[in-house]
Amino acid sequence: MDRDHYTKATYRGTKDFTQQQVKTANATGFGAAADDYSERGIDLNEQLIRNKPATYFFRMKGDAMREAGIFDGDVLIVDRSIKLSNGKVIVAILNGELLVRRYHQNFSSAFLIPENNRYKPINLSEFSDFSLWGVVTYVIHSLS
Amino acid sequence: MIAIVDCNSFYCSCERLFQPRLLHHPVVVLSNNDGCVIARSDEAKKLGIAMGVPFFEVRSLIYQHDIAVFSSNYNLYGDLSWRVMEVLRQFAGQDQVEVYSVDEAFIDFSQIDPEQIERTARELRVRVEQWTGIPVSVGVAPTKTLAKLANRLAKKDKLNSGCVQILQTESQRIRALQQTRLEDVWGIGRAYARKLNARGYTSAWDLANLPDAWVHREMGGVVGLRLVRELRGEPCIELKEELVQKQMIATTRMFGVPVTELKDIREAVASYATRATEKLRRQFSAADTVQVFLICKQTEEDGGWRGAVSSAYTKLSVATGDTLLIIQAAVCLAEQLYRRGLVYKKAGVVLSGIVPADACQGDLFAETPTDHRKLMDMIDNINFSQRDELLVFGACGTKRHWQMKQEQRSKRYTTRWEELPRVGDPGFNHSA
Repeated sequence: MDRDHYTKATYRGTKDFTQQQVKTANATGFGAAADDYSERGIDLNEQLIRNKPATYFFRMKGDAMREAGIFDGDVLIVDRSIKLSNGKVIVAILNGELLVRRYHQNFSSAFLIPENNRYKPINLSEFSDFSLWGVVTYVIHSLS
Repeated sequence: MIAIVDCNSFYCSCERLFQPRLLHHPVVVLSNNDGCVIARSDEAKKLGIAMGVPFFEVRSLIYQHDIAVFSSNYNLYGDLSWRVMEVLRQFAGQDQVEVYSVDEAFIDFSQIDPEQIERTARELRVRVEQWTGIPVSVGVAPTKTLAKLANRLAKKDKLNSGCVQILQTESQRIRALQQTRLEDVWGIGRAYARKLNARGYTSAWDLANLPDAWVHREMGGVVGLRLVRELRGEPCIELKEELVQKQMIATTRMFGVPVTELKDIREAVASYATRATEKLRRQFSAADTVQVFLICKQTEEDGGWRGAVSSAYTKLSVATGDTLLIIQAAVCLAEQLYRRGLVYKKAGVVLSGIVPADACQGDLFAETPTDHRKLMDMIDNINFSQRDELLVFGACGTKRHWQMKQEQRSKRYTTRWEELPRVGDPGFNHSA
């Protein structure tokens, strides 16, 4: 089995297009010079979704992560295929509830850190019941 | 070697993914119309909830043990199923994977070094669970039938198997066959099980050791023989072999409430006809026979397990995949069948006489009805890309109070923007 094949990003978009889709092509098959430079428009999925079957969307509730730029009502893009590591913003499962926090780990213990001083960091050693749901990769925030 | 990957209590696992507090809690999922239990978590199985049992029979057990109950949420299950299959296809390669059902797939492991099979299977199991959130079990063996059997054993003892069971050596195979009752073998129906039990055969091992001639005579000829050979480790069922176009397509539903009015029956039958025709077009087929049946609510006199059934069919002059023509035929049949004063609980539309859509034979003497193929393509396209049922046919009605009950359905977390799972601080509520 080809190992690279299944570790690389999966969303490939639709790079292929046929002559029929090139708007300025005429019956002779020759198009305007600009056709040589024509390409597919930008597709947000390509940027925001690295691994489609492992990517889920959540809606943020609360202001605990304000300083990290995550506000109440924002859409979170969460990739389950990314490994847990220091400093990542994650969707955590803590005592059966889903929570967004920054994961921080030092040599002796691990914490879930809020990005809002009204909330307290959670020391994970006190809780046996922590697991990772997924790593937040992007936030979609509406300005209106 | 061939592997089968099978999701653990698939529907229950889908529900748990977005409600992690249910992770070690008993969960059941109900069928259409909240009639029967169709999926149970291991915890619910232990509490004695049987597969397929009517909801009302276990209602008290459910409340007593605080079992979480869900109506089926096919939008959610469909999306998660796609994710699981996609991870498998990326792992093993598109052509190596045969999707067998919504929650199971066979994978060709023949290219994998025998030394690496167990490691690969375990890697695969971890990968699917980590990426999609759905736990799976993996069985690997020389044949499909043995792989199914291995998978079953992996699931039965998850703690020891780690949800992976490999049958690579002769002794592993024999042990597995001895541990499996013959009625649990893939493809052994209840009738054969009874027949074999009556002759004193009980295990899959007994089954594998039956003489060929006897199997051929007593167990449906070649089909039975293939099954027994598969148990002996000789591959007889190829990957993807069983994928055939359906020869009959049916959409049948229970009504949410008992129905007495012709208007409601018409709408329901038109909706089911729409759905069935959609399925028909999805496999690029056309059908020339439309059958409709109506089932009454059972009454004292019936005594049996269901109410009176009435059914009728009609043959169209040409096979078609046109929803409008099929609705026309189905509604007409429904009108013939309908009797005022009866109380109906279920209806169905069955399409048969199925042929490939581009090979429809015209009737020389009949006027060819206009086929709205272009229109149908457009409707399918819109309904598929814009979520189902954006475009509906007028005959299907708009209020649909006969539609099935789904009182405990969870959110469509992965297919609707307005139903995304909410994550954050439970006490927080200063905006919508």
